[in-house]
Amino acid sequence: MTTTLAATKLPPSTHPFAEIVHRLEAGGSMLPDTPENLMQIIGLYKAYAVPMDFYWRDLLYIAEQVFVDPLPFFKFIIPEEYLKLANHYAGESADLRIWRGIDTAHPELLEFMEKGELKRKLPRILHHLWHDRINMEFAEECMRAMLWHRDMGGLLDPYMDSEEYKQNADRAIRAYVQGNPLLQGLYKLFPDMFMELCRQATMYSVLGLFWEVMAPVFFEMSDLYDEGKLTTVPEAMNFLVNGIFAVAGRPIYHRVRIRGEWYDIVPKSKGFTWLYEAAFPYVEAVFYRTSPFRGTKSYNAQANQVPTNQLDFHYGILYADKFPVASAGIPPTLLHQDMYHFLPQYLVDYYRQHCRGEEDMLIQLGVSFQRSMYNVTSAVIQAGRAAFLYPLDDPNPRHLMMNRRYFEGQLNRFARPEYGIREAARLTYIQDQNYR
Amino acid sequence: MLSLLIGLPMVGSLGLFLGLGGRRLAIVLAGIPLVISLLLFRDFDLQATGMQWLEHRDWIPQLGLNYSLGLDGLSLLMLALNGLITLIAILTTEPEVKRPNLFYGLILLMSGAVNGAFTTQNLILFFLFYELVLIPIYLLISIWGSNKRDYAAIKFLIYTAVSAVFLLGAFLAIYWIGDPHSFELAEIPISDFSPAVQTLLLLALIVAFGIKMPLIPFHTWLPDAYGESSAPVAMLLGGVLSKLGTYGLFRFGLQLWPQAWADLAGILAWWGAVAVLSGALAAIAQKDIKRMVAYSSIGHMGYILLGMAAATPISLTGVMVQMVAHGLILALLFDLVGLVERKVGTRDLDVLNGLLNPLRGLPGISALLILGGMASAGIPGLVGFVAEFLIFQGSYSDFPLPTLIGILGTGLTAVYFVILLNRTCFGKLDNRTAYYPSVQGWERIPGLILAGLILWFGIQPMNLVKWPQQLAFTLSTQVAQTHTVILAEASEVSG
Repeated sequence: MTTTLAATKLPPSTHPFAEIVHRLEAGGSMLPDTPENLMQIIGLYKAYAVPMDFYWRDLLYIAEQVFVDPLPFFKFIIPEEYLKLANHYAGESADLRIWRGIDTAHPELLEFMEKGELKRKLPRILHHLWHDRINMEFAEECMRAMLWHRDMGGLLDPYMDSEEYKQNADRAIRAYVQGNPLLQGLYKLFPDMFMELCRQATMYSVLGLFWEVMAPVFFEMSDLYDEGKLTTVPEAMNFLVNGIFAVAGRPIYHRVRIRGEWYDIVPKSKGFTWLYEAAFPYVEAVFYRTSPFRGTKSYNAQANQVPTNQLDFHYGILYADKFPVASAGIPPTLLHQDMYHFLPQYLVDYYRQHCRGEEDMLIQLGVSFQRSMYNVTSAVIQAGRAAFLYPLDDPNPRHLMMNRRYFEGQLNRFARPEYGIREAARLTYIQDQNYR
Repeated sequence: MLSLLIGLPMVGSLGLFLGLGGRRLAIVLAGIPLVISLLLFRDFDLQATGMQWLEHRDWIPQLGLNYSLGLDGLSLLMLALNGLITLIAILTTEPEVKRPNLFYGLILLMSGAVNGAFTTQNLILFFLFYELVLIPIYLLISIWGSNKRDYAAIKFLIYTAVSAVFLLGAFLAIYWIGDPHSFELAEIPISDFSPAVQTLLLLALIVAFGIKMPLIPFHTWLPDAYGESSAPVAMLLGGVLSKLGTYGLFRFGLQLWPQAWADLAGILAWWGAVAVLSGALAAIAQKDIKRMVAYSSIGHMGYILLGMAAATPISLTGVMVQMVAHGLILALLFDLVGLVERKVGTRDLDVLNGLLNPLRGLPGISALLILGGMASAGIPGLVGFVAEFLIFQGSYSDFPLPTLIGILGTGLTAVYFVILLNRTCFGKLDNRTAYYPSVQGWERIPGLILAGLILWFGIQPMNLVKWPQQLAFTLSTQVAQTHTVILAEASEVSG
């Protein structure tokens, strides 16, 4: 089941997840390497990539143009120019061509935006109000998770509290409220609120820039799988690792366009990069901690099941209970609903054969999504190891031991008896193919 | 018409035993008596005080055994209940049940015999029908029950055999002591019986029917029999068979011996109150949801005894409505518990959880379970409330303390149903085990029918209450008159 890329020179690990530690040391993923797992995660990457293509475009639109609008009623009605916005990692004119497809919005996305689940062309506002659309609320929840879980490392976070940032923001906000006495009055009365809205807009931009990369990565993985060029889970993980390093240095910035003029809030010149300011904080906030999968497990604060330190929150997708909790009906989340529209046929056929078929497909794809995110997290862990530690085939046993401690440290996040959350983490579940 | 209600299911069962038909035929054979019993409602005279639809044929006159049938408000309701629960039990049965023809045939045989018991006006004929019911039920438990089915079936048989001994003894005593000797209900010369003999006969009948209902302390067969039976059989046991006991106590206890009944009323009221409390407390202690429902039945029998003890027009009406309500609610609960067991594979409260889960649980079944629990706890708007309210209102003036204990019992009923629902329906499913098959459309139908009736009679109680009102008034008048006579005699003696 496990692909062994290199034989370990260390004694066996005694960690509770020793089997997974050994697999990571051998260059594998936390997810067992089986054809079924590979099919599930690649199918899900494709289904995720299509709505993600909408998410990043709309996130950038909100960051750049909606900005600090206190009543952003139409922020999810994305303008045409953002649908045509060229992805920097796809198409002919890409800075770095990750996906061989087109750089504008994905055709399946455009078709869905036009007719929706109803398969009828109606005014976009009707599709929107009927919720027959891409659920941007999910993307916003991810953004908020990052905003609420600041202090996840990197340099951007302290920068957002710096005087320089505040001056940049102030300049942009003043330009934005110019000619609007109501907003001007509000800004005078509540300057901190506008500043926080600006920080939120910055986080919109960060997440938009993060997903602008991930969408073509997932599209390309799907195409490679369809062509038979991705055949194992470690290969899929390594593609992600390579992708992460290829774009690690991508600038992270935030700029706002007001009446045709661009205002830099976080200038590219600050040197903030994609890996440290977007990828790591995203994984930390969304995968490990909380939102947009909140409410998926009942925690009892009085029984000390809720950590007092927010940094210790562990309620993200890697811990999420994919079964709806009783009558609350969450999850499946809005993301599942989005992915449901773009599942490849082989995955639909697969789900039909298991559990309740069509009836609980949202849960089945949710579990596949969890598997796929464990694989992405494995890629991030391996990328972190590669960035900060030693190669997996390093001849020095001390270096290998430091790698092991790093892996074990990462896996300890799933085995924390102090909060009784070991069983909440789904790491042990995904080792079983029958977890659906 | 009444003979058809008895004969058709019995003849049909013979056909099924011979291998004719199958599930569809069984449904038809169960459906026709139900339709007939519903037609009886149309022509039933609400003002009449005596029996209606009388049929009489000599059978073995030398033995006093005649084929005489009749119908009043109570019998009418019981016939309809029996017809409905029989049909529902067949609909609830899995189509792939082993030996289907034997299974359905036994159900129909039992149903026909129960119809006979509910309509007969001859004591010995009642006894024959009463005993005939035992055979199919014993086989239904012992062949299609779960692991401890043999033990449960034998226990049930022994208890009901004891019940039969008391019943037959009482009926024979009535025959021998009475002059002229007769088993005909309408011809029994009650005035020939001294008060002491009346009391002894009533006590024998209370034991006989108390086992069948069952009343504490004659109840220990019930949790095993209900628990080990398949869902359709448990529905029949709780929904119909237990009514044979309450019906018998009503017809041959209260109706036949009003004077002795008035003498024992105080004891019976307290007995009922104790049954309510102990049934509820025993239910709270259960870990098996089927046994919990079974113990709830014991508690609800206590309400019936309390209402019968008071014997006021309102309480007696409440008793008869409670018989129907209990039958409907218990049938619903056993249907749902059976479905839960079939889908999840357990009835253990410590294992079940999160069944309200909309995608992977049994949300529809859980919703009906909540409704059934509410109905059993006497929540207003549901049929259980109508029955319990009438019983409490009718009993309070005569027996205030037992009635208050009974009201406390409804609170305890709510407690154990909240425990059941909280453990079973709420909470979260276990990700490792919760791969239950979904509930099919046909599996929902019986529960929906029963739930609809529970709701309908809860909102429109007069559709249920009006049928037994005349009988309740007549009987309560008889009891009140004898009570007045007793008081007058007592005052003469003391004066």
